[in-house]
Amino acid sequence: MTANPPKTDDLGAWTERVLPTSLTEIRGTERDVLMRLRELAYDDDHLFAVRLALEEALVNAMKHGNHSDPTRSVRVSYRISPDRVEIRVVDEGPGFDPSQVPDPTADENLDKPCGRGIMLMRCYMDKVEFSPRGNEVFMVKCR
Amino acid sequence: MKIQTRTEGDCQIIAISGSADVNASAVLREALLGAIESGMTRLVCDLAETDFVGSDALGVLITAYLKANGRGGFVKLAGLQPHLTQVLETTRLNCLFDVYADVASAVASA
Repeated sequence: MTANPPKTDDLGAWTERVLPTSLTEIRGTERDVLMRLRELAYDDDHLFAVRLALEEALVNAMKHGNHSDPTRSVRVSYRISPDRVEIRVVDEGPGFDPSQVPDPTADENLDKPCGRGIMLMRCYMDKVEFSPRGNEVFMVKCR
Repeated sequence: MKIQTRTEGDCQIIAISGSADVNASAVLREALLGAIESGMTRLVCDLAETDFVGSDALGVLITAYLKANGRGGFVKLAGLQPHLTQVLETTRLNCLFDVYADVASAVASA
């Protein structure tokens, strides 16, 4: 892990979960985040966007970051206010350079089965930032 | 996610209801690729009741599309809800797949 413990500010407390590298662990986090969005009356477009970006970030962290190694963990932190959602996902992999990921919307890549996760995160969230090492992503969705 | 299959004309209709998330993609893969392997290569995916699709499931649809096309068949998509239509447009997969308003239109085009 490289991320410092998230700090609390006026957006409220962070909720943090440490997930084993297992795709079945993703649903619990998704369910919790969506429940809190519904409690704050976020609309269906926001629910869909956050769910999609969260799933893509967690799948990337487990599959590509941790190389599906069950001995490694993924740390996911989130805080949700009436105005915005912030999500941070950190894996225990070596990191990567997101600028080197091919554009999945290019004609020559359209029939590739993989490689759309980061693009979807960028399209559905208002802000997506990777750490310099690339093993941590921070995402924001505003209302 | 639940999958139900039926035959209409010479097409196999694969009706997918619920969320096609990463944990459902193995079942989706088995349904689509299993159909193709058993010789049913003219597939229409009925997505009218599909409320979510992640990139993993998109990858399964693309794999099925390539395999069906390679055997002279097709994979068509029908009845997409607005969020799925937006995902297809965002990824430009609407340029790869033939997309129809409903199953009847997809079958009629086959």
